[in-house]
Amino acid sequence: MKTIDDFTRPLENISPMDDPLGLIVRDWAEKYVIPYRRRFDEDYKDHKLIEPAFNKLMGELGMQRVLFPEDVGGWGFGRSDQLGTSMYRIMEEVARADSGMAVAYGVVYWPLLMIAVEPHVNYELCKEFAPIFCDTEEARFAANAMTEPQGGADIENMDILGGSTIQTTAVLDGDEWVINGHKLWPTNSGGVCNLFGVVCTTNPGSRNPDDFAFIFVPADTPGCTQGPPYQKAGMAADKNGDIWFENVRVPKSYRAHGPGLDAMYFKEMVTLGNMASTAFVGGALLNVWERLYEFVSAETYKGQPLKEHDAVAAVLADIARDIDVIRIVGYQSARMVDRPDIYGVRWSDEQVAKARLYKYWASDLGMDVTGKAMNLMSAYGADRDWDIEKHWRDLKIVQLWLGGKQLGQVEVARWFWDLETV
Amino acid sequence: MSEHDLFPFAREWLSDMDVSLAGNLKKWAESELMEKRLELKEDYSGLLEPAMRKLFLDIGLQRLLWPDKYGGDGHNSPGAALTMTAALEQVARGDTSIALLLSGMWALQSCMAMEGKENAEACEAFAGLFGSKDELAVTSLVLPLFRDEPQAHAKLAKGAWAVEAKDARPIACGADAAVFGVYCSTGGADEVGLIALPGDAKGVKRGKPFLKTGLAADRNADVSFDKAKAPEGMCVAKGLEACRAALAWLYLGISASNVGALFASYEILKEWGDNRVIKGKGQIFKNNPLTASVMAEVAKEISLDRMLTYNLARVLAAPDVYGEAGEESTYVTACMVAHQVAQSAEKAIGNAMEMMASAGYATEWNLERYWRDTKTMQLCLGPYELAKMDYAHYFYQSQAR
Repeated sequence: MKTIDDFTRPLENISPMDDPLGLIVRDWAEKYVIPYRRRFDEDYKDHKLIEPAFNKLMGELGMQRVLFPEDVGGWGFGRSDQLGTSMYRIMEEVARADSGMAVAYGVVYWPLLMIAVEPHVNYELCKEFAPIFCDTEEARFAANAMTEPQGGADIENMDILGGSTIQTTAVLDGDEWVINGHKLWPTNSGGVCNLFGVVCTTNPGSRNPDDFAFIFVPADTPGCTQGPPYQKAGMAADKNGDIWFENVRVPKSYRAHGPGLDAMYFKEMVTLGNMASTAFVGGALLNVWERLYEFVSAETYKGQPLKEHDAVAAVLADIARDIDVIRIVGYQSARMVDRPDIYGVRWSDEQVAKARLYKYWASDLGMDVTGKAMNLMSAYGADRDWDIEKHWRDLKIVQLWLGGKQLGQVEVARWFWDLETV
Repeated sequence: MSEHDLFPFAREWLSDMDVSLAGNLKKWAESELMEKRLELKEDYSGLLEPAMRKLFLDIGLQRLLWPDKYGGDGHNSPGAALTMTAALEQVARGDTSIALLLSGMWALQSCMAMEGKENAEACEAFAGLFGSKDELAVTSLVLPLFRDEPQAHAKLAKGAWAVEAKDARPIACGADAAVFGVYCSTGGADEVGLIALPGDAKGVKRGKPFLKTGLAADRNADVSFDKAKAPEGMCVAKGLEACRAALAWLYLGISASNVGALFASYEILKEWGDNRVIKGKGQIFKNNPLTASVMAEVAKEISLDRMLTYNLARVLAAPDVYGEAGEESTYVTACMVAHQVAQSAEKAIGNAMEMMASAGYATEWNLERYWRDTKTMQLCLGPYELAKMDYAHYFYQSQAR
């Protein structure tokens, strides 16, 4: 009998930590998530079922420490050449159980990428924030406060808009930044966040990258307020809500790098965010394969297992093909993150475009695969007990985030076809 | 501009009564559901059940296609296919799951009570339910999960059917049904029948309602029939052709319900496209060529789905022209249209969600519920790969099963 481990990975490129880490996370998923996930939707506000699983993974197993330098209590992934492939495997395994948990966990690192990854480690800030994540056995969350009410994808659309639509302001007052603004939708908001990375402008309306500022704000800073979580089609483990910053004061040193550099490294987050999204799709699809395997083997049609019907088998072949190819492409995307010496820096237009390409392609394919799988299951396809419908709802969210497909298409077209105005 | 003017169909097929009914149902959907759902979401007892009671009982849709001499409104002719389509579009615009419940009920009624083919024994037996002004005629169909393989078996002895099935999965309403329509094998290899069983018949055992993707008004549960008895006349569709007739009516209902869900999705997307500003320079969303192109695709799907659905309604409404509903040609047409429209609805609503990004999957904007509902409803049709065996048989005389 085949298993998910029979889907292809580029074995010569993966990290030596790939299997040990992957199997630890798989064991966690089997014990702490898979038995409970069918009740996660109703737990979206309180996280009574979800929180213990986060505590185990992130606090007790220490997975929230991996990015930080070793000498501040982390595992040093940010200084390794296996950041992409290791994270890809971890995200894949978490998403196999629950892609909402995968994104919530993954986004802990998202703002921290700005300060904890070579070649631009900001050691002082790592040291400042490491205790939040490394000195506890409880889950701690970070969030990227980017999106604003007036324009969802405009902030991620740096090449065209250059940060000119950002309305959250940061004003330097002596040795402190004073931040004012309203953000919405970040993963790990909705009341759970411990540390925000806030996209601000120091000069509203400016397209000058020097005026783009990425500033860290501990969530308990006076003036920082989180609203309750939104209700969504899926991904109950990922809380999203409004955040208000009203005269929030943080030290001047909490800006990630400074004029020009913040805008440049921000693009690296877009690359990594898209790579992780591909891992979420791939991981969820591995579980779709597992559950569908069970279904089409057990259910019969004309006295034979459903999978033995020739026309059904053709669909099953397509589903396996798509999952396998997504995994290969996903690992390639991760490899490109690991080896800037070969593929170029992670914040380049090329890397951003290619990561977006893989993500929107995998997301579209993921929706197609889960939709087909549900269809083969007849009236059981929509049944929560079979899990596939959950992946279908969750993957739709992956497809729509990070500016959605159209922004992805625009950035891909811009790079490959040398567009100048789109 | 209403969707009657915007999305084309052969409107000369509708009677004045059909148009008037659709107008009234549009008002019902807005006042009973759409104005309240921001607060009540998909709450069954607070929102959906009261709306259903108003629709089924006060407005009287459960009596609409039922013969007048059994307490109905007497629109029990094949022409009702068009009435049903016009009605379901509006009901589904308000709530797709309520439209599916009506579709299942009308499919069962079509094989009990069609003008000229009335099953007097069944009509008599269910007059109190379908003609009722205070009891909801919630109908649950237990159909084959995989093409034509029944989940239940029925044996005739001493003038009564004994129906048996273990943990059968209805398409809807297993937990609430006042009446079951059970597609059974009745003897030899291809002998099948649709047997109507009261929900409280001895031997009917319902499982626990299960959680599912969408269709909140449908509280579904697996059902077992332990030699549940029904008089011989309760086999309301005997043989493959008669059963296929019931399915053809169900497929029409599902198609019309999908079109209604698409109307609602169009309205939500239109509001977004009219008001959203992008690129930070005052560009209205719908005026961007890329987004306009995707929005155009959504409108195209809705237009074509509606035309197809009305054409199917016309086919069922005119058996003198196109043949009876259960004939292979008509059944295959119904099956093809239902699958085509269901797949198209999945694509179009998925595209609409893509346009709205986070608002697409936020419950606050309501679009995601139509996406979940239409996908769940699609699964009532069974696997597409197996349905194609029927198309291949009709068009190529394929013996593939």
